[in-house]
Amino acid sequence: MKQHPLCSDCEDAITPMDLPVPDGLKKEWLACESRRQFLGRSGKVLGWAALGSLFGEAGFHYRAFASGANPQATSGLNRLGLPHFAPKSKRAIYLFMSGAPPQVDLFDYKPNLAAQFDLDMPASVRGNQQLTGMTSGQARFPVAPAHWPFSRQGQTGTWISDLLPYTARMVDDLTFVKSTNTDAINHEPAIMLMNTGNMNAGKPCLGAWLAYGLGSMNDNLPTFVVLQTKTNPKENNQPVSSRLWSSGFLSSEFAGVGLRSVGDPVLYLTDPEGVDRNVRRKMLDAVEEINRQTLAEVGDPETNSRIAQYEMAFRMQSSVPELTELSKEPQSTWDLYGPEAKEPGTFAYNCLLARRMAERGVRFTQVYKRGWDVHDNVVGMLPVLCQETDRGCYALVTDLKRRGLLDDTLVIWAGEFGRTVYSQGGLSQDNYGRDHHPRCFTVWMAGGGVRPGVSYGETDDYSYNVVKDPVHVRDFNATILHCLGIDHNKFTYKFQGLDQKLTSPVPAFVVEGILA
Amino acid sequence: MSVRARIAAAARSALRRTHAIPRMWVVAACAGTFILLVPFLFPLNGRPHADWLQFLGRFHPLLVHLPIGLIVLWPVLEILGMKRPALREAAGLVLQLALATCLASILFGLLLAYGSGEIGTTVTRHMRGAIALALELLLALAIRPAWLTSQRSPWYFILLTAAVTTLAWTAHQGGSLTHGSDYLTRYMPRALRNFLAPSAVASHPDSFFARHIFPVLDAKCVACHGTNKEQGGLRLDSFESLMAGGKDGIVIAPRNPDASLLLKKVTLPPSDPHFMPAEGRTPLTVDEIARIRAWVQTGASPEAVNVPGMFFAEDRDEAPPPVGDYSALMNEILQMQQSQGAKLVPVSGNPSDGLILRTTDVGATFDDRQLQKFQRFAPFIVEAELGRTSVTDSSVETLIQFKNLRALHLESTAVTGRTLGKLSSLSQLNYLNLSATKVTSDMLAPLKSMPNLRHLYLFETPAEPKSADSGVRSSQ
Repeated sequence: MKQHPLCSDCEDAITPMDLPVPDGLKKEWLACESRRQFLGRSGKVLGWAALGSLFGEAGFHYRAFASGANPQATSGLNRLGLPHFAPKSKRAIYLFMSGAPPQVDLFDYKPNLAAQFDLDMPASVRGNQQLTGMTSGQARFPVAPAHWPFSRQGQTGTWISDLLPYTARMVDDLTFVKSTNTDAINHEPAIMLMNTGNMNAGKPCLGAWLAYGLGSMNDNLPTFVVLQTKTNPKENNQPVSSRLWSSGFLSSEFAGVGLRSVGDPVLYLTDPEGVDRNVRRKMLDAVEEINRQTLAEVGDPETNSRIAQYEMAFRMQSSVPELTELSKEPQSTWDLYGPEAKEPGTFAYNCLLARRMAERGVRFTQVYKRGWDVHDNVVGMLPVLCQETDRGCYALVTDLKRRGLLDDTLVIWAGEFGRTVYSQGGLSQDNYGRDHHPRCFTVWMAGGGVRPGVSYGETDDYSYNVVKDPVHVRDFNATILHCLGIDHNKFTYKFQGLDQKLTSPVPAFVVEGILA
Repeated sequence: MSVRARIAAAARSALRRTHAIPRMWVVAACAGTFILLVPFLFPLNGRPHADWLQFLGRFHPLLVHLPIGLIVLWPVLEILGMKRPALREAAGLVLQLALATCLASILFGLLLAYGSGEIGTTVTRHMRGAIALALELLLALAIRPAWLTSQRSPWYFILLTAAVTTLAWTAHQGGSLTHGSDYLTRYMPRALRNFLAPSAVASHPDSFFARHIFPVLDAKCVACHGTNKEQGGLRLDSFESLMAGGKDGIVIAPRNPDASLLLKKVTLPPSDPHFMPAEGRTPLTVDEIARIRAWVQTGASPEAVNVPGMFFAEDRDEAPPPVGDYSALMNEILQMQQSQGAKLVPVSGNPSDGLILRTTDVGATFDDRQLQKFQRFAPFIVEAELGRTSVTDSSVETLIQFKNLRALHLESTAVTGRTLGKLSSLSQLNYLNLSATKVTSDMLAPLKSMPNLRHLYLFETPAEPKSADSGVRSSQ
């Protein structure tokens, strides 16, 4: 028998048990690693029960939930004791504006800037902020006021750019956070931080944490779905990848399931000709049998995930066509979302799909829209970006609201950072560019758990520094978890000797000021 | 015999029975007259006087706690004195000290009010209360020797009770002067507050104006723009007078905060001569200005209960009452979760938050008969997700047994609304979704009597309101 690469037959080899490391770590190593080693070395199939008694109940069970079965299973039994308290929202929809929308052109109204056109931004405002390589060499930092007028909208009289006529109609339902800030100034670390609470890849994202902690609300669709919007080649599209919806150190069954934006939402979803549902079932049963043997031999918990994913895929063969079958949508839907929503892959289509998934018990849906990275030609590109997304956002919130779903659904709209008030490259009367800016950006939320019609936090006259109620990305994520009934400090997973959590080890605080 | 005559007769007979020293009575009468005359000697006319008066007067809040402590101690000693005579002896001394400190407090209080030129109904009440208290103490001291010898007259104890009551009332008036009249009620549970002190704007006690605008005006403006004073011809002690404005015209322009004189005046730089509140009184906080602005922005309605964007911690939904502990049924719940079919899911890790009845996975196969199986869990179910199932009007028979039901989803079902009236026994029901059903508006009439039903969804029903906000959350 070929030796498994993870196994060592050398009895004298040094193991972590011999090293001067804390007992806690040794215990974790025992629970984690020795299952594979032990099984591999003995070459025999040992029952889980025997292992449990060998390594101690607690440690074994701990890993068993973490690795194998969803703690919620598909059953709804939640051994983590989550939610910690009665949640206001059962599910969330995250509209991710990748590339970073310019807050100063859309939400953060600074009427005083018009008079400062092309004047240098005071160095005191910039302070010690490190700039990106794209503007750090600039001789001057001329103020570029928003090109489009703002107007007061809604009962709350909220200022919003005329570029967003649809969002303007629902400002009374939205909760704006104008003082969001982040640590990173480049897309990849910033988007990782936003999604996983850490700039380095490898940590579970918000959706994976929710899938792990709250479990599924239905048997036939994934707990966490990712929808990507078709890219517009004219826009500056920064890459998004599965790192952003990865489950990190959590079992991979909690990772986001991406639906394709072009063509079939899931490839090879229909059975090939000549293969009927029973044949497929038999095949899957055989595959599962083999997988179970592998699991028994190698003991890799990821095999469990694979079994679960095969089963999910089988059920999705009927649930996904039903999900994407839009012909039964009433005319009122198309009146609201616009004709674009009929075309798969558009933002409006994804918003409609997100609403349909909310109805069908998908816990967390993340819609990615790329192209917001407007380093130049803001005047040319921003209207295009707004036109692509504005109506979809409005339609989604309004649709959820009229159907009675907004009471227990949290909708989030956010990018990974903000953009500078000073122009990148040349500033003219007709055009300007904006560089990355981590110190402040505007996000909005709507739905269960947050106060509608509130604008939280303030920035200075240059929309450069936060002057009131700063909200770090960590605080923002802690608040999202709070709306879903989770105390972010108690929601941890032991890995690498640390009680890992979404909000990182740095203290984070729920933004009480926006809670309903 | 008139009441007054009867009291006079009683007082006369009480006097006859006492063996008081006449000189004591002369002193008491003189002192009493002097105290009564004090407000006339130093009339409070709202004009500030010499600074040194106010300097001394500001010791009033310090001094005033001496008589309070002594007066509270006095009945304690009298009552305990029934068992231990030594304490009764002490009570006499305490009473004398109480009177002396009470008179000193009145003097300093007058210095304060006279010196600072403060006037108002509360000030007057506080002063009158203190004078009444001093007179009661004086009288009690005068009849005490007689009471000690005979022990029969009830008058001493009547005076004692009256003095303690007067003290409480006077102290409350004083407290209202220093801390504001809503100091005690501000954080009181709303139900209790409405019961104890119906708002001054009683016609709409729950309105945003009554709860969040009027208290600000009352605390910061009414001293000069109210019953006592009408500076600038402006009164701010009612909604009508606020909207009527003053000599300079209207002060509130609905939907136009920037044109509202009141908001202009309170947001001027504090050094500006037109800044309000004037004369160094406490300015409005940023928060208070924001809420007035938001209220004006939305139309300055006397009735509106909510103003978008304005939210107060005390308005947060009160936590729903806990349901019983379902732990005893946990095994069954778990079994149900592992098998096919509808499931019961805990709302949270805390059992008293109840259970959700979830039918997502069974959809159309879930009908009235299956719903009946959940009767034994009835008291623990707080939310029933029955949308897109095959339940019908007769499901209501089962549902009314879910006494703690707070949210009911019946969207996209065959429910016609015929039996909705029966739901009115569900007193906790807060959310009812009837979207995409055949419910008509006349079926909804019985729901109007449900006090907690705040969210009713009628999208794509014949009952859908045809307004601009069609189908959107309608609040009762």
